[in-house]
Amino acid sequence: MPAPAEPQPQPIEQVDPAWAWASYEPSGSEGWSLDLAAHLYRRAGFSANWSQLSQALNDGCQGTVDRLLSGVPDPDGHYEQAAGMVETLLGSSSGQNLPAWWLHLMVHTPHPLLEKMTLFWHGHFATSAAKVTDPRLMHDQNRLLRAHALGRFGPLLEAMAKNPAMLLWLDSATNRKARPNENFAREVMELFSMGLGNYTERDIKEAARAFTGWEVKHGEFRFNRYEHDQRPKTVLGLTGPWNGDDVIRILLEQPATAQFLVKKVYRYLVSETEEPPETLLDPLAEGLRRNDYDMTWLVRTVVTSNLFYSPHAVRQRIKSPLELAVGLLRALEGTANMYVLAEELEALGQAVFFPPNVKGWDGGTTWINSSTLLGRANLVWGLVGREGRYNSKVDLVRLSALEGVDEPAALARRVVELLLGSTLPDEVYVQLTAVANEAGQANSDRRQRLARLVQAVATLPEFQLA
Amino acid sequence: MSTSRRQFLRAALGSTTLLSAGLSVPSFLSRSARAFDQSGKRGERILVVVQLSGGNDGLNTVIPYADDGYARNRVALRIAAEQVLKIDDKLGLHPQMQGCHKLQEEGRLAILQGTGYPNPDRSHFRSMDIWHTARPEVEDRRDGWLGRSIDHAGRRAGQDVPALHLGPNQLPLALVSRQTPVPSVDSLETFRLRTADGALPREALSKLAEAPRGGASTLLEFLCKSTLSAYASSEQVQQALEDDSSPVEYPGFTLARKLRQVAQLLDAGLSTRLYYVSLDGFDTHANQAEAHAALLNEFSSSLKVFMDDIAERGHLDRVAVLAFSEFGRRVRENASQGTDHGAAAPVFVAGGQVRGGPLGAHPSLTDLDNEGDLKFHTDFRQVYATLLDQWLGCSSQAVLGKQFDHVPLFKTVLG
Repeated sequence: MPAPAEPQPQPIEQVDPAWAWASYEPSGSEGWSLDLAAHLYRRAGFSANWSQLSQALNDGCQGTVDRLLSGVPDPDGHYEQAAGMVETLLGSSSGQNLPAWWLHLMVHTPHPLLEKMTLFWHGHFATSAAKVTDPRLMHDQNRLLRAHALGRFGPLLEAMAKNPAMLLWLDSATNRKARPNENFAREVMELFSMGLGNYTERDIKEAARAFTGWEVKHGEFRFNRYEHDQRPKTVLGLTGPWNGDDVIRILLEQPATAQFLVKKVYRYLVSETEEPPETLLDPLAEGLRRNDYDMTWLVRTVVTSNLFYSPHAVRQRIKSPLELAVGLLRALEGTANMYVLAEELEALGQAVFFPPNVKGWDGGTTWINSSTLLGRANLVWGLVGREGRYNSKVDLVRLSALEGVDEPAALARRVVELLLGSTLPDEVYVQLTAVANEAGQANSDRRQRLARLVQAVATLPEFQLA
Repeated sequence: MSTSRRQFLRAALGSTTLLSAGLSVPSFLSRSARAFDQSGKRGERILVVVQLSGGNDGLNTVIPYADDGYARNRVALRIAAEQVLKIDDKLGLHPQMQGCHKLQEEGRLAILQGTGYPNPDRSHFRSMDIWHTARPEVEDRRDGWLGRSIDHAGRRAGQDVPALHLGPNQLPLALVSRQTPVPSVDSLETFRLRTADGALPREALSKLAEAPRGGASTLLEFLCKSTLSAYASSEQVQQALEDDSSPVEYPGFTLARKLRQVAQLLDAGLSTRLYYVSLDGFDTHANQAEAHAALLNEFSSSLKVFMDDIAERGHLDRVAVLAFSEFGRRVRENASQGTDHGAAAPVFVAGGQVRGGPLGAHPSLTDLDNEGDLKFHTDFRQVYATLLDQWLGCSSQAVLGKQFDHVPLFKTVLG
């Protein structure tokens, strides 16, 4: 018998916004499930391991979201360790090692949502170490993103406008009174706040004048009043002797800024497939302004909403390469050589600290092509195979999720529960059971069988879905 | 192509004055060219797109060195007239473009001046999207112009992939098709499923992806289709690459490496007709001179060696290369020894059947648009329409949604 089809949801245009953002209350057969708990962990983190899934089932939706938002205590001092590690790395003169450092943090963090949102902001304020060659400045920016990741957007935008890595990245460091450089002024409107269509070329030219004299000296922000254009500027209809802070304030006052941000968060946390109508997002944008751009409010509202647990959201995103690799390692409670992993992720299109351009990663179906799918399959085997390329430490035999499960069909189902949270068509189960059923019962063979079973599940088209 | 054949063609067709005077090639010459085409290796016509990302400074690429306006607007960034590689008494190429200059002399490089579109957008992303989708009027990123040409041509199962993107980045929107996933390949060597050490073989993984999914979402269907296509094309490319020799020596540039792979693949008989490569870094807001010179050198020398390679391999007459950037740069340089985003710029088309030399006048340096940028006189969709109708044999009306006048890109009107 084929697996039951997913229910066809009503078109997104017809979804009632009041229902969409109301708090999700599980009930009866539609209730809180392994599938939804796994969904929450894929979005508000980097997938869950077996004990996290079990705890989430026990705690329910609200309790799990609370824990994800606050992060569990950090008894092993991962963040301290990471801070120590980066000091050593920064001793070397290039930024090449920064991706491995951040990957390590993401695989081991007790606060995955914090890293997930730091990654969101890295894509939003996408700055590349390919141009900003001082790794300390890139690391400072990463710390800044993390400090504000679940805080208020206003202070973050203000700080980014003065962030040395950003200033160097968008050439504002050479923004002179005589002939302003428009790069930062353009991107702050197009990509960091309002989005295209909400300003004119003239607004950009005027705003560029307001940012003149914002420089980097000895790795720090400096205001050079001799290079600052003191004359009045008209930005978005407001005239005054504006400086950069004034322009940021004007941008934050625009309703378009909250709308733009909400749309981006929707794509990151809810769905990449359907274009949400403005009326659906309006309550979130209004709420965000009412709450002084508080990102914790926004993230909590989204991941506890009815819409988030509906077919409009579940499996309506594609995992980024990083989400795939970090998620697999976290689910399997393993680790790997992060330098090699970072290289592989770069080949798959996602090198953190080296975004492709100032717009960040487009995500969605753009991650997927023949080459990256083969790369993703190779990556999976590299992580779980016996002589993987990553010196990975993934102990499938002692994994609590699989301990004591021997019967091939049960084993196949358990691996699917752990890695997908969902069910699969019967025919796929039959093939997976055959993989789990290969001859040999000794422990060493069990390791190889488990590795192949994990390979089979983690290369399924379903596993690419977030 | 053998040396003697190339010499014959150069002798017969090399008179660029005849061609640039706008006369069509006498029919006996075009017949001879076709005959040679048939004596060489067979295969369908191929289009290679080279994207110059970031907004190439067209004014310092194809330089109106004799125009006062050039010297007036470019002070720190001016290329001295004596350094310009002259095309005629008004126009020349950047000194680092010796390869392109030779191609131009050989009659294998067309330079389309003043190319752009109405109401130019100065955002990299929007403008690049416009070039990729060929839809300046609407924002619709569902497919690209080459992707639509693939959809329009239709595709039978079991054929080679219709297009390949060679590069580490995501698939260019231009190649996005609604029906056929186009592979994006960084290194052809890594375009291979690794199944050492007892992993499940490709057949087993393929079978898992092939199993029917009742009621699958659009996204899951896309992933199932793409996964199967990945396993299939991986095998094809590996077979095509078994012979790894080149008749010419390529320079060490990344762009050259990618173009060499294109030459290998098309010489191996892969029926893929569209190849796409990119060279990034043209967003020269500050300290432009050195960076721009290096980029033009990479572009120009890589293109020249590639053309020599495919000529040696006998494919010159079935290959055309299109090189474009999302916009040119502002006429007046900025205070950071750089240039800001502009509008119209030159586009290059190279190939054995191309009508060499400049096409159209250089845009005026005094009659500028409101932003201080060059005005276009040739819509890039005219270039696309010419390539689609005449080169790829694909209806431009179907792909572009309306009819655009052709530009005289080729020696004869091809069909």
